[in-house]
Amino acid sequence: MHKLRDAPGDSEEDLRARLETIPAEGRVYVLGLGNTDRADDGAGILVAEALKKRFPHFSFSEHDGIEGTVLDIAERDERSTVIFVDAGDLGLGPGSIKVVRREDIRETEITTHRVAVALMASVLGAHQKESAVICVQPGSIEFMGQVTDPVRRSVGLLVQLLTDLMTARDR
Amino acid sequence: MKELNVEALARVEGDGGITVTLDGKKVKSVTLDVHEGPRLIEQLVRGLTPADDLNVIPRICAICTLSHRYAAIRGLEKALGIVPPEKAQLTRELMMLGENVESNSLHTFLLALPDFLGYPSAIAMLNDYGDDVKRALRLKKFGNHVMAVTSGRIVHGENPILGGFGRYPGRKELEEIKLKAHELVPDAVRDVELFASLEYPKYSEADMVFMSVNAPKKQYGYAGESILISNGKEANVEDYKKLTNERVVSHSFAKRSLYQDKTFTVGANARMINMGKRLDGQAADLFKEHFDERWTKNPLLNNLAQAIEMLWSLEHIPDMVDRVLALDNPPIEKPTRENGSGTGAVEAPRGTLYHHYEIKNGLIDVADIITPTAQNLDDIEKHMKLTAERMLAEDKGDEEVRLGLEMVARAYDPCISCATHLVTLKRI
Repeated sequence: MHKLRDAPGDSEEDLRARLETIPAEGRVYVLGLGNTDRADDGAGILVAEALKKRFPHFSFSEHDGIEGTVLDIAERDERSTVIFVDAGDLGLGPGSIKVVRREDIRETEITTHRVAVALMASVLGAHQKESAVICVQPGSIEFMGQVTDPVRRSVGLLVQLLTDLMTARDR
Repeated sequence: MKELNVEALARVEGDGGITVTLDGKKVKSVTLDVHEGPRLIEQLVRGLTPADDLNVIPRICAICTLSHRYAAIRGLEKALGIVPPEKAQLTRELMMLGENVESNSLHTFLLALPDFLGYPSAIAMLNDYGDDVKRALRLKKFGNHVMAVTSGRIVHGENPILGGFGRYPGRKELEEIKLKAHELVPDAVRDVELFASLEYPKYSEADMVFMSVNAPKKQYGYAGESILISNGKEANVEDYKKLTNERVVSHSFAKRSLYQDKTFTVGANARMINMGKRLDGQAADLFKEHFDERWTKNPLLNNLAQAIEMLWSLEHIPDMVDRVLALDNPPIEKPTRENGSGTGAVEAPRGTLYHHYEIKNGLIDVADIITPTAQNLDDIEKHMKLTAERMLAEDKGDEEVRLGLEMVARAYDPCISCATHLVTLKRI
């Protein structure tokens, strides 16, 4: 989970506007991160898995092997943007959403479980690919817990917004 | 009295920190403080059927998920009197080779290497060592792929079950794995050469005791029925409690282990010390070239051991694929009893992992898991204390000492999340 503090959340309108400005051109890939065993920590996976039904070649989750997917996208000869979706500690109310541009990703952590998004964004950048992170503030990250209602609503909103974006850009 | 803290230990899994208490230049204590909350997973599985247990217990860890699953399968099959078919055993070995490549590539390159090259992280390394980072990511991707093909998916695959596999991997996907493994061997050789060229500081050096499973048929491997100890002794895995002697300490949510009142080490270096002579191929050649007396004293050499081991795993994948493909898919073996007990021991990338079960009337009555990190914690503290003492005696500054301590802790490739599964502890 990302740790970002003192960042105001985006309204639905802001969010739509910001999403539209990030991928200037080319395909949009969505990569969902997190851990569905820890309640809202799985928000990114839920978004990606929902999108995968409509965009099976452009939406991936942690279950697909994120690092390998990033390498594949990075080395493709095409313009593209990768949007990572993950739970993030924004210091805001549960379900708040924030879009973070690649240059603003400050995460430095790599764990034994996954390579840091900042490293993956750097690898993409080295291949002239754009990237951004959408963070969702979790309400609960209890082990084997349930996804909270505000996060469930935010997941639904993100699926809708990203579907619109991918439909518009992936043709 | 002064304290030197590493509040949040970066580049390890889970929430832990290091506290060094100093009296002038004298080091009073060094503790690896584990803050990660306990998960009580052994209690969660009580009363479940063994099949349901298998779907819960690997959730303890998303990186050693297959090691946990395999250790649980070994313990449960023993308890239930199941003898798995040869094809199941070989496919399980193949999945362990994949997990080893996946985990060792991530740890050596992205977690440990930045320290040795003077970078704060792999991200900072990218400009100067971009090819190395991408090589690590390619190896990790391949390890993940082997895990997915054998177990059903990358994380928490459910194909390996009691008595066999829900679905055996197909010929086409196995042959692709074989080809890719061949292709990646030169990458793994380059990795060994890189890690062999690093300078390993001597501050942490001291006599060590190493434990690992004894792979059958005098081969190198990641599972076995007995435990090798570097003092020349050998013990049955059912005696795991006598080897690990778990206890609770006040500064940590993870249990600790001592063998005959001494700290001990599990992990790739332990496997190399105990089974290194059994290596073959280029891994054997490189082990012979680079192994020396320091391996028995310096925990930092675990990084080089992991690089050599990753090469061995890659070299063995094609042979394992051939052996799997040579056999027809067997039926799933069923339990022959409803009551019994058994212990499974496997080598997770970061060391020996025990799963012990007692089954009563077909349901889990007792589950006991001892993770590699929990076994290593006392050893980590011992070598960190030596490091702090020796660095301070040389008038090294606080930042240098902090880095020295972090390098020691990271060398063990600790997984703190996994180590804090059990204990309910009152802080004093």
